[in-house]
Amino acid sequence: MTEAADSIVTLSGIDKTFYRGKEPIHVLEKLDLDVPSGSFEALMGPSGSGKSTLLNIIAGLDRPTAGSVKVAGSDLTKMSDAQLAKWRSQTIGFVFQSFNLIPVLTAAQNVELPLLLTNLSSAARKKHVETALRVVGLEDRMDHYPRQLSGGQEQRVAIARAIVNDPKIIVADEPTGDLDRKSASDVLTLMDKLNKELKKTIFMVTHDPAAAEHATVQRKLDKGALQ
Amino acid sequence: MVPVQYNLRSLFVRKVTTFATAFGIALVVFVFAAALMLGEGINRALATAGRPDNVIIMRKGSDAELASAIQNDYIGLFRGPSQVSQAAGVIGEIVIVITAERSDGSGVSNVLVRGTPPDGIAFRPEIKITSGRAPKPGTNEVIVGKAIAGRFKGIAMNDGFELRRNRPLQVVGEFSSDGSSYESEVWGDLDVIRRSLGREAVVSSVRARLNSPADFDAYRSLIENDKRFSMKVQREADYYEKQSQQTSGFLKGMGLAVAILFSLAAMLGAAITMNGAVAHRSREIGTLRALGFSRFSILTSFLFEAITLSVIGGIVGTVFVMLLSLVSFPVMNFQTFSEIVISFHATPAVFVKSLIFSGVMGLIGGLFPAIRASRVSPIEAMRA
Amino acid sequence: MNLATYARRNMFRRRGRTILTIIAVVVAVLIFSLIRTAVAAWNAGADEAATDRIATRHKISITMQLPKHYVQELRDTPGVTAATWANWFGAKDPKERIPFFAGFAADQNTWFDVMPEMSVPPEQLADWKSTPNGAILGDLLAKTLEVQVGSKLVLTSDIYPGDWEFKVVGIYTPLRKTVDRNSMIFRWDYLDNDPRAAFSKDQIGWMVSRIADSSQSAEISRRIDAKFDEKDDQTVTMSERAFQLSFLGAFTAVLKAFDYVSLAILLIMTLILANTIAMSVRERTHEYGVLRAIGFPPGHILGFILGESILVALVGGLIGVGLVFLLINNVLGPAMEENMSGFFPYFRAPTSVMVTALAASVVLGAVAGAIPAVLASRLKVTDALRRLD
Repeated sequence: MTEAADSIVTLSGIDKTFYRGKEPIHVLEKLDLDVPSGSFEALMGPSGSGKSTLLNIIAGLDRPTAGSVKVAGSDLTKMSDAQLAKWRSQTIGFVFQSFNLIPVLTAAQNVELPLLLTNLSSAARKKHVETALRVVGLEDRMDHYPRQLSGGQEQRVAIARAIVNDPKIIVADEPTGDLDRKSASDVLTLMDKLNKELKKTIFMVTHDPAAAEHATVQRKLDKGALQ
Repeated sequence: MVPVQYNLRSLFVRKVTTFATAFGIALVVFVFAAALMLGEGINRALATAGRPDNVIIMRKGSDAELASAIQNDYIGLFRGPSQVSQAAGVIGEIVIVITAERSDGSGVSNVLVRGTPPDGIAFRPEIKITSGRAPKPGTNEVIVGKAIAGRFKGIAMNDGFELRRNRPLQVVGEFSSDGSSYESEVWGDLDVIRRSLGREAVVSSVRARLNSPADFDAYRSLIENDKRFSMKVQREADYYEKQSQQTSGFLKGMGLAVAILFSLAAMLGAAITMNGAVAHRSREIGTLRALGFSRFSILTSFLFEAITLSVIGGIVGTVFVMLLSLVSFPVMNFQTFSEIVISFHATPAVFVKSLIFSGVMGLIGGLFPAIRASRVSPIEAMRA
Repeated sequence: MNLATYARRNMFRRRGRTILTIIAVVVAVLIFSLIRTAVAAWNAGADEAATDRIATRHKISITMQLPKHYVQELRDTPGVTAATWANWFGAKDPKERIPFFAGFAADQNTWFDVMPEMSVPPEQLADWKSTPNGAILGDLLAKTLEVQVGSKLVLTSDIYPGDWEFKVVGIYTPLRKTVDRNSMIFRWDYLDNDPRAAFSKDQIGWMVSRIADSSQSAEISRRIDAKFDEKDDQTVTMSERAFQLSFLGAFTAVLKAFDYVSLAILLIMTLILANTIAMSVRERTHEYGVLRAIGFPPGHILGFILGESILVALVGGLIGVGLVFLLINNVLGPAMEENMSGFFPYFRAPTSVMVTALAASVVLGAVAGAIPAVLASRLKVTDALRRLD
């Protein structure tokens, strides 16, 4: 597989096997993937096809049973858990299906979380948080708690959190899965903006065809193989 | 690393659980601090009645004044040596234990009665007559220590009791002595009391004031090596120290043993609570891990939460235990078989030790849950 | 499936939590039982006192002595079948192998007749009567002081100066479980004839009498004291049980404190149980909503929760009581009895304590589960379904 000059993700020969008791389940087999920088990728596939597993590998949350993983210039298979944690904080922005905001922190404090892993001063962090919330259009909800926000607003705060540390890749696992049609549309428009205006690479897993339409590249994963 | 507000606020979201656990820890800290205060109270009651320049002389082989007997003629010989302060001199006293009925009808107990010479009260400058007046020497007048005044029938102001048939004693005053064991005694005239008991020729113990504490070794060697009699000389402080050891050791030991056993239960309570919190918040923890917070930062943040929880309980427990300072109760002094009254005594050290104890309980109880939290995989964040 | 099955299965949903809670109940039961056993053991001596014996001492204080001729007058009192006497010796071991033991001088002709629970072989008793400095020791004391019949024994005294040499002529064994096995008894006449005891010549410490009719105990005691009332040395006579209790008198406050402390541990246990149940209920609110929606009445939900709480408490209580039996009665008890025979000649958990502990854990299990159970059963079905927690 040729490594394109501006590939931000290069996976070669990825195998991932889970064990149910003694029985091995081969979720991914001999998988190769190349994601060019600045791309907006949608990965679709039926339930159990291994989409989330692949996403976890790209995001440094899980390790493949075999194969090599190069993301944003780092070889993930050679990194320890602690190194991966640090790398994630600097490189990846996460958007989860169930938003995953910390209920006891305000919107601003939730967005600030990734910045606590940097050396920025309190004032600098505040600035970044405000900027991120402005991008998603929720700076007036800064001091609200998640329970005071609608589902769509929660997800947008989560996106603000995902971009606040200026990551190289945004990884989104079913970002519109828990949203109604209108909110989903708002979120996807926002992701378009992130991709086209802020030039962020986005890797999104979804089984919503409407969501996939927003992507520049659509892939299908079936029985561990990419199409 | 993980923001402190996260842990603090999480504690207060689950109010009932936090309260119940903290209350349990408060109870344990209460028992622990009470045991410490009891120890301090005993030390105060027993071990503070001793000046560095006082010595107490008893017959060799006797562990307590009660068991010792010294012939009158020897008193003059104890006064002779140059180490003795001629201003304060020496005094010989007789000590007996009588049974007396408790005023509240709960039975009988032992009270220590001390027959002291005319200069006996002045020998102890810390003695203050708190009500009534000092007894007239040579009469059957007595004063009673304020710790036991009123606790026994007849042993109270303006009341009287019989030491022996037709030998009545009149209580004319109450005295205090800085909280020392003298406050659990009745003091009367040496000769009157001796005569009542038919023991005119002896005293139980002799106290001597030396010119300076440094004279102790010389004086002791002089008296103990004298072949005319067989005596034991001790610093007053050491005598009381030994007296308190058996009683205080027993009570303190039991109190602390109970507190430590209790702490097992409290630590289990804290562990259950923190475990529940970790299970409940596994998605949050996974998210933090996904965002890049290290395992160690998760571990420390949950440990911090556990310790905060138990220290809150510790503070509540310590504040309430201070109320115990108002309580005093009788205990048997093993050495003299007499009843002494102990109060719970609070010191800053008690407060500090109790808080540390509560923190340690939180640390041990919260350790495994915190380790469990740190092991939560970031993939937990993905669970719907 | 029924209530019991559901409760049992639910216990193991969060195995770690259930196990920790059960351990907490076990610990609480152990502590409670230990404290109550200590209190019972403390009082055991008094509880086991012989009903047909009374003790007479000087009215002022046990530390004051009575004239020896009082013994004959005591024997002449109607109702008294036998009387003996003893003087406290304040014995100490010069080698400090044991910190404290009871040493006293008693009448060689009558002591063991009046106190048959200290059993001495007849030939050893006969030996004692013919050996002036003979001494009879309790079996545990003999072991600690490393002596047997025929050995020489040197002791010192708190009251009398110098070394005192005895010949061990006998060892007594206890016929009752509360007998102090660490006592040492030698002949009164040996003490009385020694020049060092000149100041207390012909004086005795206290007397013990056997009476024919236990129900007459108070009456006979009064009769005895009346006889000596006119004399200079007055007496006070009481049943042996009252006599033993008088030594514990000063400790009533401490023992009461221990009673409160034992209740405190039960309170802590209830808090832990309540906490666990509350957490479990909170997590399962949605599930209870589903059950209600299906048609289970609120009473059933209450039953499930209470049942689970009681089951956890019961399991903990049973294990705890089992451990009490094993650890206290078979390990700690014998150890205490051997080493602290003076204080605790008998240290076993009474059945009443074990039953109380078990009953308390079940009752408190119900109490702990009550509020969460009532609250859960009162919740509106729609509210319960909405909670996802």
